Amino acid sequence: MTAFLLSPEFRVVFLGIFLLMLDSFTKTDKRYIAWAGIVGLVILFGFSFFPGLPEGVFPPGFYLSDPTALFFKRFMLLSTILTLALALDYSKVYQEYIPAGRPGAGLGEFYILPIFACAGFMWLVSAADFIMIFVSLELVTMCFYVLVASMRKNLLSLEAGVKYLILGALSTGFLVYGITWVIGLTGHTSLDGIREVLPIVPQGYQVALMFGLGLILVAVGFKVAAVPFQFWVPDVYQGAPTPVTAYLSVASKAAGFVVLMRVIEPFLTVPGLEQKIVTVLTVLAALTLLYGNLAALPQTNFKRLLAYSSIAHAGYLLVGVASVGAEASGPAVGFYLGGYLLMTFLAFLVLVHVGRVTGGDDISDFNGLGRRSPVLALGLLIAMLSLAGLPFTIGFLGKFLIFEAAMQSHQYLLVVLGAVTVACGFYYYLKVVRAMYWQPVVAEAPAIPVPVFTRFLIALLSAAIIIFGIYPQPLLAMLR
Amino acid sequence: MNAATVPWIILFTPLVAAAVILFFGRYSKPFSAGLAIGATLLCGILSWWLFTQPDATEPNQFFWINLPDIFSVPIGVTVDHLSKVMLVVVNTIAPLVFIYSLGYMKHEEGYWRYFAGLSLFLFSMLGIVLADNFLMMFIFWELVGLSSYILVGHYYPKDSAADASKQAFLVNRIGDFGFMLGILMLWLATGTAVFSQLFTSETLALLQSNGLYLTIACVLIFCGTVGKSAQLPLHVWLPNSMEGPTPVSALLHAATMVAAGVYMLARFFPVLEHVPAARDVIAWVGGITCLVAALMATQQDDIKRILAYSTISQLGYMVLGVGVAESWDVPMFHLFTHAFFKCLLFLCAGSVIVGMHHEQNIWKMGALKNKMPFTFLCTIAGTLALTGFGFHGIGFSGFYSKDTIIMWAVVKAPVLGWIAAVTAGLTAFYMFRLLIVVFLSVPRSEEAKKAQESPLVMVVPLLLLAIPAVIGGWPFIEHIFFHTTEPENVPSIVHYALLAMFLGGAGLAWVLYRRAAKDPVSIPLFANRLYIDNLYTWIVKVFQDGVAWLAGWSDRWIVDLFVAQVPSKLTWACGYVLRFLQLGNIQAYAFFFGAGVVGLIYLLIAR
Repeated sequence: MTAFLLSPEFRVVFLGIFLLMLDSFTKTDKRYIAWAGIVGLVILFGFSFFPGLPEGVFPPGFYLSDPTALFFKRFMLLSTILTLALALDYSKVYQEYIPAGRPGAGLGEFYILPIFACAGFMWLVSAADFIMIFVSLELVTMCFYVLVASMRKNLLSLEAGVKYLILGALSTGFLVYGITWVIGLTGHTSLDGIREVLPIVPQGYQVALMFGLGLILVAVGFKVAAVPFQFWVPDVYQGAPTPVTAYLSVASKAAGFVVLMRVIEPFLTVPGLEQKIVTVLTVLAALTLLYGNLAALPQTNFKRLLAYSSIAHAGYLLVGVASVGAEASGPAVGFYLGGYLLMTFLAFLVLVHVGRVTGGDDISDFNGLGRRSPVLALGLLIAMLSLAGLPFTIGFLGKFLIFEAAMQSHQYLLVVLGAVTVACGFYYYLKVVRAMYWQPVVAEAPAIPVPVFTRFLIALLSAAIIIFGIYPQPLLAMLR
Repeated sequence: MNAATVPWIILFTPLVAAAVILFFGRYSKPFSAGLAIGATLLCGILSWWLFTQPDATEPNQFFWINLPDIFSVPIGVTVDHLSKVMLVVVNTIAPLVFIYSLGYMKHEEGYWRYFAGLSLFLFSMLGIVLADNFLMMFIFWELVGLSSYILVGHYYPKDSAADASKQAFLVNRIGDFGFMLGILMLWLATGTAVFSQLFTSETLALLQSNGLYLTIACVLIFCGTVGKSAQLPLHVWLPNSMEGPTPVSALLHAATMVAAGVYMLARFFPVLEHVPAARDVIAWVGGITCLVAALMATQQDDIKRILAYSTISQLGYMVLGVGVAESWDVPMFHLFTHAFFKCLLFLCAGSVIVGMHHEQNIWKMGALKNKMPFTFLCTIAGTLALTGFGFHGIGFSGFYSKDTIIMWAVVKAPVLGWIAAVTAGLTAFYMFRLLIVVFLSVPRSEEAKKAQESPLVMVVPLLLLAIPAVIGGWPFIEHIFFHTTEPENVPSIVHYALLAMFLGGAGLAWVLYRRAAKDPVSIPLFANRLYIDNLYTWIVKVFQDGVAWLAGWSDRWIVDLFVAQVPSKLTWACGYVLRFLQLGNIQAYAFFFGAGVVGLIYLLIAR
């Protein structure tokens, strides 16, 4: 029992509860809660490198602790740490939009909810059972409903919250319904059980089975922002508090992909079904690639640009998932997500600071950033180059691995489409770079002060992007 | 530390130094200079240590790109006698030049930039020396070109310096293009670019089965040498590259970089020696270059340009040596002695230039021997070494190495041999002209009267270099590094002829220039470098500019319009249209969502 309670997820929950109590008993500035959360999560991140739980603590077929799950647990911890760091820098802006009696009050939930979401994410990446998947997914989604709408005095945030809530509820409905069909037909809730039963499901039931799976795919497609379930993304990303946007675009997407790969895996073992699933994934990937990259071209708002970029990246990741049969497709997706975490958080980190000073998040607000704050500009430059996929950055290697997997599984159409859309990517990412370095500063803009901790994070993320872009072996070793 | 890791340390130390100086050098002059000098001293010590070690027998490489059976690029080091000797040459001269630079560059702009450039150059040069395959050599071959570009253009605000660095880079590109084609031809034929695999007897037999192909490949590879070692007709960049700081001229454009072409031929010698036709081409290019460059040198007025033409001429000797001698020891021996005495001469020139407050015209100098006694002594040593003074087996270093080449040439290709012998006379003439006009005769300007000896930090490297310049060719030293052989049946008249040439050249210079206030001889043909530069300018103007205009026009009106503008606008329009789907209205979103669900289910079930 103690071992059970000491699993990584429970440690995170305990941290959250502890901070929640701390929050209730203090009335001063709440920013120390974020610091405590960061420190706690860093410690837990360190723990993840020590031997985990002994076998048999959890019933088999319910909770996985394979290397992939471990990798994504670290991924979730890291993205939560970065989200809290972003939230710290964002506090000033956030505070303007919440009703608070005293300065610093009302910030507690903003820092604590991501920690609970983190626990949900960690359960999710280990889940091997539909019940577990559903419950942990809902834990995460609940946290996000609150977080997205939490700037109560900001209309955009409220609107984003409502949209996310309604569409999220819709997708949850599809998820439950789909799960019900699958469970009803197979009699199992665990993926292992389903895998065993699938070959003996009568031929006549296959249509029904596909119907159930299709509904599940819809719900997961919503989470990862695959076209045509992506319409919420630009509005919600733009309206939500920036740290939440970053968290949503990284952790939520990663979790979606883990679930997607887990759920379709048993169905791919059935010969008749495999082809259909691959077709659906191919169509989703192609649409997502095209939509994300093309619609990003005319964007003038940086946050919306990142939203479309996030759709585009979902497209590349779907190419990886659709490369069924390629041995490297799983690690490729994992590696891509790892790189995506680094560069997305780097971009958002810069955005938070630029937004804090200029009060806006249009691309034109980045004009002349190269002069106003060389550190931020350099960080964003590296993030943009990596997002676009320039060689010697982790973004390039991620795309390379994805395309390699696609070639192995003969998804040539997707490779061509991917290569062409990368060109679009260069256009809209470099547009930001152009603004930073070649556009004159509007009016007399002050220099942007950057806190030491942020500088440290920018340096760390930039270095990681370049180092793993040249020497990816340590990351790949974790995934294989 | 062992013989397997030391080459890697030698290779990468200068790169690390260059990187650190690049990032932090601007904050402290002593720091950047100290770091660069420390790095090169370490390289020097390790190179000498490595020289005492046996040759490596195992391949010492890793793969940079490794797609088995498709494309592999190995990065590896060769440690054999050839590379060890070259390491010693480069890493002995480099520290001296670096230290000399302390004095020469003391009051110059861009101190850290200079030392970062020098360190980068050293890294690139060592990469050429250590490369164990043609691809790696080519990468570093381009890198020395880049560092040469940076260093020649050190005074880039000056137009002439910026132009010279550009010209050096572009002219080298022409040669390098041929070099690359040659490498590709070899690679295509044998499937490998690794030297040790190219030199196996099976590969050689395979290559020799198609003689013409192999000859073309070898001549194309030789193009690399023509560019890098400034052979005719690509020699024009070297004199102009004298716009760089003098220590750069000494290290890059006299001792090491320009000799890389000869080193590459020596490295490739195991194949080359079986291709007589290609060696004939090489010998003739070398022979003609050495004569023509010497003729041009006789009429130059700029102290550094005289030495530059002399360098071209001496490189011509080395290339001739590759063409006629029976082993690579002969040209490499001349490379070895030349590196020391030509570096010495350049540093002496630098010392004179500093003493004269950056005056380079020899007709503004004169009678400097009392003002700059050490420089004078060292110049004498260098001149006698370069002109190959000596008889009957006793002489200065150039005497041994140059005469061996001439003897081989006389035996193997008599015409070239006598051309080379006449050139020796010309060499004596122009070098004594320089010596007499600058150090003896009468002072010709106020600066010359007030000139002072250079500081110790410059004089000491001069004196240290003077030692190998004098004794570097003596047989007991030669036998440590080389095993040169002399051809049989050398007509004994050659020795007397060479002595006569030396005395004739030196004597003529003495008669003509002893009291001359300005140049008594005027041969516009030589002074204007046979009008080759003018010819090139004309060619560039007529042909290249014409093609450039055409390309520019089609780029603007055809490529830009149909390849760039139309597709980009179309793509952008697609994106713009997609924006309208984003209605912002949640009912619409739910509708699209539902449509998506239907479509997805349809794909899964109905098909």
